[in-house]
Amino acid sequence: MTATRTPDVPRTLDPRQPPPIPRRAASKRAARKSGLFGWLMVAPAVFHIGLWTAIPVLATIALSFTDYDIFDAPAWIGLDNYVEIFQDPVFGQATWNTIVYTFWTVPASMAIAMVIAVALNQNLRLRTWFRTAFFLPQVTATVAIAMVWLWIFNPQQGLLNGILSVVGIPGQAWLADPEWALPSVILVGAWQGIGIKMLIYIAALQNVDPSLYEAAAVDGAGPIRKFFAITVPMLKPATFFVLIISIIGAFQVFDQIYVLTDGGPANSTTMMTYEVYRSAFQNFEMGMASAQSVLLFLMLLVMTVIGRRATKGDEG
Amino acid sequence: MTTRTMRSRHRRTTGIRRARIATGLLTASALALALGACSTPAAEEDTDPNAISGDLTMLTPIFEGTAGQKLLEEELLPQFTEMYPDVTVSVDYTNYARLNEKLTTGVVSGLVPDVMMMGVGWIEAFADRGVLANLTDGGLTAESLEQTMTPQIVEAGLWNGDVYGVPIMLDARFGVARMDLLREAGYDHTPRTWDELVEMADALTERDASGKLTRTGFDMLTIEPRQMFETALFSNGGSLFSDDNSSPAFDSEQGVEALQRIVDLFHEEKVEDTGFSAPNATVNPLINGRAAMAIAHNNVWTQAEAADPEVLDDLEPFLIPGDSPSMFVGGTMAAVSATSAHERAAQKLVEFLASPGPALAANQQRGNVPALTELLESEYVQDDRLVQFAMENLSVAKREGGPPKWLGLRGDVAPAIENAILRKKTAKAALTDLAATFQKKLDR
Repeated sequence: MTATRTPDVPRTLDPRQPPPIPRRAASKRAARKSGLFGWLMVAPAVFHIGLWTAIPVLATIALSFTDYDIFDAPAWIGLDNYVEIFQDPVFGQATWNTIVYTFWTVPASMAIAMVIAVALNQNLRLRTWFRTAFFLPQVTATVAIAMVWLWIFNPQQGLLNGILSVVGIPGQAWLADPEWALPSVILVGAWQGIGIKMLIYIAALQNVDPSLYEAAAVDGAGPIRKFFAITVPMLKPATFFVLIISIIGAFQVFDQIYVLTDGGPANSTTMMTYEVYRSAFQNFEMGMASAQSVLLFLMLLVMTVIGRRATKGDEG
Repeated sequence: MTTRTMRSRHRRTTGIRRARIATGLLTASALALALGACSTPAAEEDTDPNAISGDLTMLTPIFEGTAGQKLLEEELLPQFTEMYPDVTVSVDYTNYARLNEKLTTGVVSGLVPDVMMMGVGWIEAFADRGVLANLTDGGLTAESLEQTMTPQIVEAGLWNGDVYGVPIMLDARFGVARMDLLREAGYDHTPRTWDELVEMADALTERDASGKLTRTGFDMLTIEPRQMFETALFSNGGSLFSDDNSSPAFDSEQGVEALQRIVDLFHEEKVEDTGFSAPNATVNPLINGRAAMAIAHNNVWTQAEAADPEVLDDLEPFLIPGDSPSMFVGGTMAAVSATSAHERAAQKLVEFLASPGPALAANQQRGNVPALTELLESEYVQDDRLVQFAMENLSVAKREGGPPKWLGLRGDVAPAIENAILRKKTAKAALTDLAATFQKKLDR
């Protein structure tokens, strides 16, 4: 078939016809139209993110340079809030407590969650029941959980001291002793965080090719070898994701502190988020709270980058 | 938290309700007369309830729980809305722990409730910043309130001499002893001096063979550390702030001595171990015999009534001995928003809630101390020895607060006291450091 090429008709020859569109221009117009359509499609999301995320974030950053106590208009004070934060021993302790809390809760709960996920990925009886049981703390209100833990940690009638007394170990004032309060809170945090991590790992395990295990079995690999040589590397993208959300979650710990210890005793369990709360809602220092929030955000950013480097991102 | 509109309820008028209207009118009128509240031009408007109108919002940390809501919504507010048929009241319930958040978000969003209940020490902050209406403009004066309340209590609702909050109920902290346990140890009276308190606490403390504390001679851990320290501070003749509220005064000799005495009770006399009890413990150690004496809240009586009425006869209140034996009081005040579109109606609601009938009911529900002196003779007060004791000793009551920045300061007190009790700092260093923090914030 021979393609016939319509000769270009000069515009002046037939004024009743619309002018012919050059191919390049038509292509540009189509691209523009397509681009416009694309923007139209993402507009709701952009609007949503702009309104509910970008503006509040920018407002927080702007407020962090002001003295704002909700009653009077914000007054520009430059870096004073940041200077004060770095001189504040309580916020320093809160930062340290947050790092310690994250250091212990994230790897511990990740390791436990991975082991549980692998176990519950087998064809066990009551597998669904176990999965539900492990996930239950995640969907239970922290306040309710904290009340149970308050009883467990009760130095007089608590379960933990009761068990210890059976084996002859003296009990502790778990939440009232500054030496034990933070470890106690960490224990609750690690326990509560296992469920969601386990769920992500189970989902990731579904995508691991069974032929890898079959090949390893043929090569004589045992369960432990298979776990470290196949399961752990294949779960790397999931591990990165779990690590990031765990770090963010750990840095944002608030409600269990609020209910279990109120940051005490003697600020031994106060966290960065708790200090933000205290600045904003107890001291009416919104500018200070904003500056503390910005520092928290920066720390999370740094931790995320470190996490990405450590796990080499989400490379499979 | 529940928000309910009372409009539909007040329409269901019954004969019983009419009787309540009469009671409500009587009580509100009694308060109005007693307070001398209506001697302004607005008084003429007050004589015609139909002239008062508006849809009011009310934020309250009291009346919490099912019983509290029932009392407010089924008993008290219907009385008010039937007295003022053109007024409706929507209630937002919270508790003291979350009250600050509610108020903060209300102020920031411009949605400040018409009527707010707040604690002693809060009025200064909100009045100073123009959030609260000056009730003196509406006819309430300090002098008129002092006809029915002690000046110390009225003062908690004043700012620059004008009334911004009307006291409804008080929370008192003082010493309480289990006389049955004291008698077993050979004491027939509560301690009269600090040395006697130490000696008795020592004698009453019991430990098992392993050294585990089974009974404290003097419990200091079941109330908030801040309030525990303030009770000791006031009884030792100390103050929180200088007279002009410009600088902290708790780091004085009396303050350091008061805190040192507490520290010594823990570490030298070993009458209590940290962790033995905690603020708002499920069962107060006085009730189950795990404490022989304590710094306690007046509502221990109500708790004992519910848990073990047999111990009621053995609960004996006393003022913590010291240079100036006194009692710590907090409380709940009713205030009106400066931006309320229905200020007259809001003030009427405040006056109603502070009047004898509703105030008595609210106090009874929480086991608290009525602010109105005349309620000393009520059956409720006469039946509750701790509330009665508190009312009889209001002349030596001292409260916290003072400077408008108090709300931003008070959260720093507990960690400082805990630092001293845990011996992370000496009593003097803990209070000196705390005073420096206070001064820095006051000067900001």
